[in-house]
Amino acid sequence: MTAQTAPVTRPVPAPPSSPAPRRRRRKPNVFRSLSRVLIVLIVVVQVYPLAWLFLTSLRNEHDFATGDPFALPSSISFDNYVRAFQTGNLGQNILNSFIVTMGANLLIVLLGMMAAYALQVLGFRFSKFVRGLFLIGIIVPVQIALVPLFIDYSSVNLLDTYQSMIIPLAGFALPMSIYLFSSFFEYIPRETYEAASLDGAGPYRIFGLITLPLSTNTVVTVVLVNSIFIWNDFIFANTFVLSEGLKTIPLGLQNYIGAMGKVDWTATFAAVCITITPLLLVFLVLNKAMIQGLESGATKG
Amino acid sequence: MLPNRSRLSVLVFLLPPLLLYGVAVLFPILQSLFLSFFSWNGISDMEFVGFANYVHMLTGDGVFWRSFFNALGYLAICLVLQLGGALFVASLLTSLRRGRELVKTLYLLPAVISTVAIAFLFVRIYSIDPVGLLNQVLGWIGLGSLERPWLSDVNTVLAAVSAPEGWRFTGLYMLIIYAALLAVPQELEEAARLDGANRWQLFTKIRFPHIRPVWITTTIMATTYGLRGFDIPYLMTNGGPGQSSELLTTYMYKTAFTSTDFGYASTISVFIVVECLVAVGFILLMLKRKADA
Repeated sequence: MTAQTAPVTRPVPAPPSSPAPRRRRRKPNVFRSLSRVLIVLIVVVQVYPLAWLFLTSLRNEHDFATGDPFALPSSISFDNYVRAFQTGNLGQNILNSFIVTMGANLLIVLLGMMAAYALQVLGFRFSKFVRGLFLIGIIVPVQIALVPLFIDYSSVNLLDTYQSMIIPLAGFALPMSIYLFSSFFEYIPRETYEAASLDGAGPYRIFGLITLPLSTNTVVTVVLVNSIFIWNDFIFANTFVLSEGLKTIPLGLQNYIGAMGKVDWTATFAAVCITITPLLLVFLVLNKAMIQGLESGATKG
Repeated sequence: MLPNRSRLSVLVFLLPPLLLYGVAVLFPILQSLFLSFFSWNGISDMEFVGFANYVHMLTGDGVFWRSFFNALGYLAICLVLQLGGALFVASLLTSLRRGRELVKTLYLLPAVISTVAIAFLFVRIYSIDPVGLLNQVLGWIGLGSLERPWLSDVNTVLAAVSAPEGWRFTGLYMLIIYAALLAVPQELEEAARLDGANRWQLFTKIRFPHIRPVWITTTIMATTYGLRGFDIPYLMTNGGPGQSSELLTTYMYKTAFTSTDFGYASTISVFIVVECLVAVGFILLMLKRKADA
């Protein structure tokens, strides 16, 4: 990784009352206390809507309609969760999101790694030009592909399939993945490859036996970062998918807006809570890896 | 370059990714460019119209210009919330001794949640009947006169649909900027402090110049993401009331899939791409030049 993300030395945590550590000279602590209060305040504003969402999903309807939104629920009820499962097709939606996320991630990782290998390790005459082509995909907004893909899909009967979502999701994520893999491959010493070559290994064996096994960490980074966006994709799914059986979570949630805009809010919020749980769990368990991935993804740019 | 490589092996590794990328990204871009010179509703024969779509878009379409300026407003609000907020919180965070990891995690939380869920959440937060979170808070702190139906008031709706997008990703940019701030060499800050620099000088003279490359990247990221913003306005108001929260992206989407005017929709999407390229070029020019000065 680059110097930007190189091992970061954190100041040793010390209780505020102890003598200030070396690099922070003794000075009035007003600034520090003020910034601590501010941070807490900002975090509360940032997180409160989510807490409110969760609390609402536990309220009964009467409590929700009349009660104070800041109060704790008068009684905890899981009826909303029961209704959430009855109204929608949550299980199917979660399964679909899972299939799309896995499929797209597979393509992103495998193809990203292959392209980076060709660009960074093998090298060829037009590699600058190819890199430039891939750069376009980072800048260009995804909406440009909607109309053309819709037309192409309908002419080859791909509308309303898993592939119709996977192809553009993977295609638009590919450049970033190539970029991350390339910058990782830079750090594999050339001597490793030369030694393997001398031993008679060709480019395919080197890829399978050296590059691939060494890249595990980058694979985790790429998968985690992309999963956030793919799991939550709305625009491609909304454009290319019509049948109930293929709807992913974001589309499934829309079913909760009933006819004539009448919304069963507490059940809807319960459904939202259910659908964000898988990703949230992954995020909380792996948040170190994910945070590092997001940081390195951009600081390298 | 690997000694034993052959031309064939390069192709074996390069062609599959290029194929996917070509099908999903490159070819559609060219196709949009092509379609933008036609009038086509998807069923009847395509009719070549030359630059008529472009002329109509730039000179005869009030909704287009309305959406364009709305999109700029949306972008401005997103940038202030995301980059401004991120820089502010990241700076505060470096002065914190404990709980940094916790703050980072909590702050990033909204980025994990789908836009549909966020749209639901904010529709309720903004609502006035039954009274939502925002209006409740305003009443509570004595600003009851500001209570309003935020999403049906033409004066507030654009800000109301922009804020959730800003809220969603500010954590992401905060992480990136925070990582960059931590990489500023302590010796530099120490030396400046010994020379009597105050916090503001420390920030403008040492820290900010040091994180400028990262700042350029995040600005480009936030701008291109802001210009392609779609989900939240589309889901919360669908551009309404009237066109007061219509963005170029939602207008393009409706032109394509509600009015099935594929040719004109392609013209608008070509414009969006050009707009993104111009914005990126502009940012690079501005921030690079300032760095040289």
